[in-house]
Amino acid sequence: MNILIVEDESRIAKRIERMTRAIYGNTLQSLKHSNTLYDALNYIENNALDLVFLDLNLNGHNGFDLLTTAVSESFHTIIISAYKDQAITAFEYGVLDFIPKPFNQNRLEQALNRITIKEKKVTNTIKFLAVKKRHKVQLVPIENVLYIKGAGTYTELFLADGKRELHDKSLEKLEQLLSFSFERVHKSYLVKLSEIQEITVASGSKYMAELKNGVHIPVGRTKYKDLKAKWL
Amino acid sequence: MLSLHVLKQMKVILRPLSFFLFICLMLLVTSCTPERSISKRYRTVFKIGDQSEWATKAFNDQNWDKRLWFVPGGQVFWSRTKIDILKAPDSLKPFGVYLHAYGEYEVFWDGELIGKNGNPGQEATLGKVGKMWTTYRIPAHLTKKGAHVLALRSSLLYFPDHTRIAQLEIDYYDNLLTNQTIESSYMHLFAGAFLIAFFYFLFLFLSDKKEYATLIFGICCFLFFALILAEFVKAYLPIHYSQHVERLKVIGALMFGISFLIPFYFSMQFPFRKRKLLFTIYAGILLYIFLSRYVFELTANNMVLSMWLFSFGIVAFGVYKKVKGARIVLLTLLLYVPISLVTPFNKSLFVGFSLILLGMFYLLSLRIKEQRLAYETSLVQSTRLRLELLKKNIQPHFLMNTLTSLIDWVEETPKKGVLFIEALAKEFDLFNQIENETSIPITQEIALCRAHLEIMEYRKEINYYWEEEGIDTQQKIPPGILHTLLENGITHSLPLEGNSIRFKLIYESNTDYKCYTFLTFATPLRQEIGTKKEGTGLKYIKARLTESYHDKWDFSSGPVDHGWKNTVKIYS
Repeated sequence: MNILIVEDESRIAKRIERMTRAIYGNTLQSLKHSNTLYDALNYIENNALDLVFLDLNLNGHNGFDLLTTAVSESFHTIIISAYKDQAITAFEYGVLDFIPKPFNQNRLEQALNRITIKEKKVTNTIKFLAVKKRHKVQLVPIENVLYIKGAGTYTELFLADGKRELHDKSLEKLEQLLSFSFERVHKSYLVKLSEIQEITVASGSKYMAELKNGVHIPVGRTKYKDLKAKWL
Repeated sequence: MLSLHVLKQMKVILRPLSFFLFICLMLLVTSCTPERSISKRYRTVFKIGDQSEWATKAFNDQNWDKRLWFVPGGQVFWSRTKIDILKAPDSLKPFGVYLHAYGEYEVFWDGELIGKNGNPGQEATLGKVGKMWTTYRIPAHLTKKGAHVLALRSSLLYFPDHTRIAQLEIDYYDNLLTNQTIESSYMHLFAGAFLIAFFYFLFLFLSDKKEYATLIFGICCFLFFALILAEFVKAYLPIHYSQHVERLKVIGALMFGISFLIPFYFSMQFPFRKRKLLFTIYAGILLYIFLSRYVFELTANNMVLSMWLFSFGIVAFGVYKKVKGARIVLLTLLLYVPISLVTPFNKSLFVGFSLILLGMFYLLSLRIKEQRLAYETSLVQSTRLRLELLKKNIQPHFLMNTLTSLIDWVEETPKKGVLFIEALAKEFDLFNQIENETSIPITQEIALCRAHLEIMEYRKEINYYWEEEGIDTQQKIPPGILHTLLENGITHSLPLEGNSIRFKLIYESNTDYKCYTFLTFATPLRQEIGTKKEGTGLKYIKARLTESYHDKWDFSSGPVDHGWKNTVKIYS
């Protein structure tokens, strides 16, 4: 596990660090603390990360610019903030969790559990997927996404208008964020349930899901029963 | 809101009121110019000398002078005026003659002595007797329809060149007396209104000594009151002809004052550049007109004319600049023109001045309304600032971060946690003391800053140092200004080597200003793009400075080599 803590309050950063170490123990590979935006962005660019703890109000600046950058990256983002009213927006942007200050170890553990345990409980809805473009981050509304195909460490988003976008997050991570409306029908596919028109059995007992726009998506043998149950 | 409502109502009432006043004034103008055709007056002729037959109706005065320029040494001279009576009076209602003439004289009607005003020819020995405005009864048997002669046996010791009869009027004796009384009583009522207005605005000024417009308007009211009194006092105060010039001088001086103050007042309401220069010139023009020895009426006329021209220019400028109320005032000034054309000068003067004063009054009421609104806004602003100050300690960023750190300290090292709580309690306590104030002792503000630094040390685990230089402990400052600067300093800086940040407050003062310099010695944060917007903290500081010092302050804030520098200058 590689973790970055972006927090300008030294005492709080140390608290997060201490608790994270206590939770992960030996599984923690690296843990870094940044107290400025610049420092943090630099570190993100040059290091592989699994998780970032992010304070939205860094040195008096509104952290939403940083937030859109963060959520477009391959790692999960957990917000730790004094402003509870930012939670809804943060979730819409696609953060894994929002921890309001002050917090204790239990709350931190609960958030970290979301990474490892596939949580089905639908609490908050993500509205956008942040996609990195050449110079900026673009927000793709979830309602435009039909299905997602895994492509190594990246994923490919297939949109309603026929366009495709690349996302830095893995299919597993997106599944965690999108579990309320998307279903992992195949090891390489994540499909929006409401887009499935029919589930067919092709020759060689291959299962296929036909989408409303006519595209056929393979369905994993093990996933078929689950999908059928949910879809019906 | 209530007062606004009242103001609106007042405005509704004032509009018809001003129309009503205007109509009253017009009525006054028309009623003062009566058209009577009881008699017809012929040209008056003069002759120096003293013969009793000069009084008789039959005397032939054909070779008498049409004009007598000079009668030196208080000699006796005669004047004869032929008068046709066009309509005989009703029975038992005698005619009278009203005279406005210089000198002491005896009045003869068709050779019969009907009245005496002083002692002609004996002025030097018997002293000043008589008055300038007189009314005499004409015996009923001498007022038959037809030609008559009014002869005056006069002497002019004090003004040997004033041999004219300024006014001569024949009417029923009763009417002559009552008309004067009515006129003067109305004008005195009028004067009383302006006297009350003067007292009202004087007291208004005394309660707020910065409002010079109120004072000037009040003075105008008083001068106008005095002017009316000086003009109409003749109805009951006997003024000897030798004192007449003194009275005119008084009137002239009053008009000088009014003529200067009215445009001056307008210039306060519709300000423009180079006011001082223009008014020095204007005062010069007025003084020249006032001091140059012309006929009184001409002098007054010139003063009123320059007053009108000057006011018109200023108000027209106000209209051009779209100042509220300028149009209505311009209208009152324009109304003066037709009034002055149709009525005699001494009437139009009062009507015109009243109109202009009404316009000034309207402007004043507009300004008072504006001030009231401004005051209400400032109250709201003060409340907002108070809330802003209160919010400092309960806004989530401060409170939640502090509490999170506090929990951590309590969990890890409880003893330090207690110290942290004490520091927090100190800052809260200080905030409670100052929350209602608009200015607090500098020492209190410094204590607040020190308490804040203590808290931040626990939170940020950076060594903060506070230094002072030249602090005058007697000085006061609006609350939360240094505190806000300190907060900004903490938020936007990174510690120097050795994990420390130093703050320094320097106080300097001289006769012109007091200056606080607040320095942060730290590593500046790399400036992110798009963060140029002025923060709420700086807005708070500026609003507080404006609240306490209006526009007599300066604030600057910017990066320097060693960190950050803020200066607050307060001008005296």
